[in-house]
Amino acid sequence: MKKMKDSRTSTIVLHNVLIAVLAVIWLVPIVWLLCTSFSAYSGMNTSTFFPEQWSAINYVKLFQPDSVSQFPRWFLNTFVIACFTCVISTMFVLMVAYATSMMRFPSRKPLMNIAVILNLFPGMLAMIAMYFTLKTFNLTNSYAGLIMVYSASSGLGYLIAKGFFDTVPRALCESARIDGCSEARIFFQMVLPLSQPIIVYTVISSFLVPWMDFVYAKMILNAGISSQYTVAVGLYQMLDRSLINNYFTQFCAGGVLVSIPISILFVIMQKFYVEGVTGGAVKG
Amino acid sequence: MKQDNLSAEMTSGGFFSDFCRAVTKGDLFVKLSMLWMGAGYARRKQYIKAALMTLFEIAVIVFTVQFAMEYVPKFGGLGSVMPEKTFNIETMKNEFNDYDNSFQILLFSLFSFVVWITAAAVWMYNMVSVYRLQLMEEAGVRIRTFKEDLISFKEEKFHITLLALPVLGVVIFTVVPILLLILVAFTNYDQNHMPPGGLFTWVGFQNFISLFGGGGLTVSFGYAFVRVLGWTLVWAFFATITTYIGGIVLSLLLNSKKTRAPRLWRTLFIATIAVPQFVSLLLVRNFFANGGIVNTICANIGLTDFLRNIGLVSTSYIPFLSAPGWAHVMIILINIWIGVPYQMLIATGVLMNLPTEQLESARVDGANKFQIFQKITMPYMLFVTGPALVTDFVKNINNFNVIYLLTENVYTTTNQVMANSQAKEVDLLVTWLFRLTQDYYNYKMASAIGIIVFIICAVFTLIAFNRMIKGDKEGTYQ
Amino acid sequence: MKFKKIPAAALAVVTAAGLAACGGSSSGADDAVGIRVWGAEDDQALLSELIAGFEAQYPDVDFDIQLGVESESTAKDTILTDVEAAADVFAFASDQIYDLVNAGALADLQNYEEAFERYPGKTLDEIEAANSESSVAAATVNDTFYAFPMAGDNSYFLYYDSSVISEEDAGSWDTILEAAQTAGKKAGMVFSSGWYNAAFFYGAGFMTDLNPDGTTAMDWNGTSPEGYTGVQVVQSMLDIAGHPAFMSIADGDTANQIASGNLCAIVSGSWDAQAAQTAFGDGYAAARLPDFTIDGTSVPMKSAFGYKFIGVNEYSENIGWAVLLAEYLTNEESQIRRFEARQIGPTNLRAVATDEVQANYAIAAVIAQSEYSVIQKAGGKYWDPVQSFGEIIAQGALDRNDPAAIQTSLDALVEGVTAAIE
Repeated sequence: MKKMKDSRTSTIVLHNVLIAVLAVIWLVPIVWLLCTSFSAYSGMNTSTFFPEQWSAINYVKLFQPDSVSQFPRWFLNTFVIACFTCVISTMFVLMVAYATSMMRFPSRKPLMNIAVILNLFPGMLAMIAMYFTLKTFNLTNSYAGLIMVYSASSGLGYLIAKGFFDTVPRALCESARIDGCSEARIFFQMVLPLSQPIIVYTVISSFLVPWMDFVYAKMILNAGISSQYTVAVGLYQMLDRSLINNYFTQFCAGGVLVSIPISILFVIMQKFYVEGVTGGAVKG
Repeated sequence: MKQDNLSAEMTSGGFFSDFCRAVTKGDLFVKLSMLWMGAGYARRKQYIKAALMTLFEIAVIVFTVQFAMEYVPKFGGLGSVMPEKTFNIETMKNEFNDYDNSFQILLFSLFSFVVWITAAAVWMYNMVSVYRLQLMEEAGVRIRTFKEDLISFKEEKFHITLLALPVLGVVIFTVVPILLLILVAFTNYDQNHMPPGGLFTWVGFQNFISLFGGGGLTVSFGYAFVRVLGWTLVWAFFATITTYIGGIVLSLLLNSKKTRAPRLWRTLFIATIAVPQFVSLLLVRNFFANGGIVNTICANIGLTDFLRNIGLVSTSYIPFLSAPGWAHVMIILINIWIGVPYQMLIATGVLMNLPTEQLESARVDGANKFQIFQKITMPYMLFVTGPALVTDFVKNINNFNVIYLLTENVYTTTNQVMANSQAKEVDLLVTWLFRLTQDYYNYKMASAIGIIVFIICAVFTLIAFNRMIKGDKEGTYQ
Repeated sequence: MKFKKIPAAALAVVTAAGLAACGGSSSGADDAVGIRVWGAEDDQALLSELIAGFEAQYPDVDFDIQLGVESESTAKDTILTDVEAAADVFAFASDQIYDLVNAGALADLQNYEEAFERYPGKTLDEIEAANSESSVAAATVNDTFYAFPMAGDNSYFLYYDSSVISEEDAGSWDTILEAAQTAGKKAGMVFSSGWYNAAFFYGAGFMTDLNPDGTTAMDWNGTSPEGYTGVQVVQSMLDIAGHPAFMSIADGDTANQIASGNLCAIVSGSWDAQAAQTAFGDGYAAARLPDFTIDGTSVPMKSAFGYKFIGVNEYSENIGWAVLLAEYLTNEESQIRRFEARQIGPTNLRAVATDEVQANYAIAAVIAQSEYSVIQKAGGKYWDPVQSFGEIIAQGALDRNDPAAIQTSLDALVEGVTAAIE
């Protein structure tokens, strides 16, 4: 018996050591990010892993706006854009998911197939056309335009939400219908309250979009007014050839600051996503 | 009951046949609705609807005359008037003539076409519904009042209310740009033909011929295209498979009973995805740069010299991201780093639902871990996430971020023929396309490539979906 | 019945927008003269001051001048994405002028002679004559003057650490590399860029030129008027690149490499002056580019001249005032102010002649180099193939003892560069 227990302990130890090693490998660049953000030297350090001089000055500099770095302003801009985006995106996604999942109408299958096909187009290609479309309506260089770009086509990403709605028992809706409920009421007052996991998941994943994207933001906010940038564009500009030597560590600091709220949201989202995907909440 | 019969009569045979029936069998007012869309409603006393349809008709006509007519006639030639200006010293401004902007003509003509097609669809549907009204009246069925019609949008027509805005958003922001770019692929819109200073025009299939190795230097476009396409497919395959399997393995590791503090580990792994890609990828790029940290460490521990001696490396640094073979492998490895935590999350969610009785009985029967993994876990995973695997493959074909951020400004191709068409060995079709539009304004070739990418993705998706999904599985869960 | 309400709304929106877009492009007479200016990040403070000075010169005109940020090296990309939305007055690096002119984004300054006469009272010839000849030549495309020269030190030369390399040694690559090797340091240059590596070819007498249709002319695979063959030049470059004390640097990475302390000599420009001063300390020195050797003969390198210009957008609304503003931002006083604030070398002849400017090391190197410089004229198809070619040399992928392979490579290069734009 003792032998088995020993071998069991050793396998447990090995197992955890393996995980620890993997975690370390995974975290190396992140650790480097953290360390570099605390470096006293403002450029990129290529000779040593850890900075030669430690200092928290980059974080201080981030909050002292100059013509290049206006982090607080960018954070605020991105936050506003993200809020609007997530409201509109969530609405669209839930509406489309509910309609395709719970209702039956003639053009349902064709619509779903078209959605699949549209998703196959490389998004980069449509960028220039989208830019000129926005220009026609005078929406370039405005947050309204950017919000629209992020959220207007979000209906195409309805699949996960639809998967969730598919697990809602039909019997529930049938009995409500027999009782005389209108479809609208079923949607708003019955199904939505039951769908908290997927709503939270959709809200968070659409909230995160403006924080991560720099390609579209750069294209649309092209007046060169750096106080209008989002965090992604602003940080990306810091890496311009002429500035990188003075701003690289600030870039790292900005990256760290941006990652904190995102990771919190991710953790929350993961919990709800798991609940949502398993759909266990709605059985019975 | 009578309504049901009517519906049956109407929907059997499809939309177009309904329309033909309406035109041929309709009474006077139905036929009048072909010209004045409100006629049919007015006859049946649905005055509000009549007014609405009339307004609609007027709006379309106004739109056509005022807006569409300015651009659509020029659609054939895409403009012929170049800008000319005279300087007015008094106002200190330039006075331009009324010049043509080819792109605007293209865009606005497309708008007009979209509007016209929608209007045509509305017109046909109008005929169908007016005919239906006539049938209802003849059969003595009560015709709804306007108020009741409105209420139906909360009831059986609720899906229309739900889908209206999202569909509009998709049409304007996805469909129209895609159609526009498809059209551009048949023009010669590039650096030498840039509005507003220049005009471009239709060239038919010329760009596609160039792409597939037509004449002139374009031998290099075709050459580059084949290689970039090859790498795109190889990359998509490996990226999808490695992160998928990696995610499953990691998830099994973390969720195993032997793990202490699984939540802690999971959070640590999630930290890597929480850092935005453009930060983490740029960081990793600098990490592995020719003069970067990893290279310095390798030089210090003698690894570089060792590799030089055995002939794998010809320069004084290890070209992690700047030589063809190395860069390919590094990109896939770095993508594993980025993608596995995310796949791990998904795998965790799915595996939670794995029926434990199967696992138990297998263990009782004496199967070892590997057999359990192979015979029970993997099939279940594939069953649940199969479609997601296909979508991931397609997404990886278009995975712009990883390649662009890792190789931009760092990787220089040493293949001169590739360089002649602005391509690199590590390019995906989308990054090549992006460079062609952003740096070289070669919109026409980029659009042609984009269409090819789309066709490839569509083919893959259709084949894969047809083989994987037999029948409609939705019903099984409801 | 299904689609009734949706298209009505969409049509209303489209109609309204369409009418607005095509009908009301310019709103009547704006009382304030609106001009948008783009300048580099570091220039923002200086530009605001200069703009204030411009406004003060014309007190009875109501200006509304907005200043935005756009890096000079990426100005072309932003402008050409959407010319009409770009700023009215912008700063850009001289190598972008051909693409901008090709796309019709730059205003032809000859058209605005009247405005120059009426307001500042100058003629275009006077303005051109006030700046150095080569800067004006660089701003002239197809005999038309397109932009005002602003800075004359966007060229590259040699920085070196005089405590490691003596002034004499800094005159030739061979001696530099030897001295570097002895000191255990390296000498670096960017090979994988058509801006830098062309210096070898220009030095040997080869040329690149821009044809009117936008294609590039290039003769590097033949024999230069001075009797050197392209193969010989490549062999010299390979010798330099293969030397253990040579470090090939990626384009844009120069500041980093200087700061790492591994280098004792580097080919770079005034944008790295700060970094070089910090790294080399007391030994900081600058000189014109070193000579390289072809078959025993010392051949000087000829750098590609680089300037910074201020151009005016062809589609500016208040183009007359925009042109005047651009001229003001680059006149003698402005250039002197710019030098005082940021140590940027002027192109204005009188400004260059002042003592302060003459005393600046980096600028002195530029001036010394200017005798061995050419104006680089090349079309869009030039850059990628030459970058590739430079990388091949830097990696040592060609064998110096295999002239046939080198010739093949050169032929492929010239074929790619001189191709029609497709």
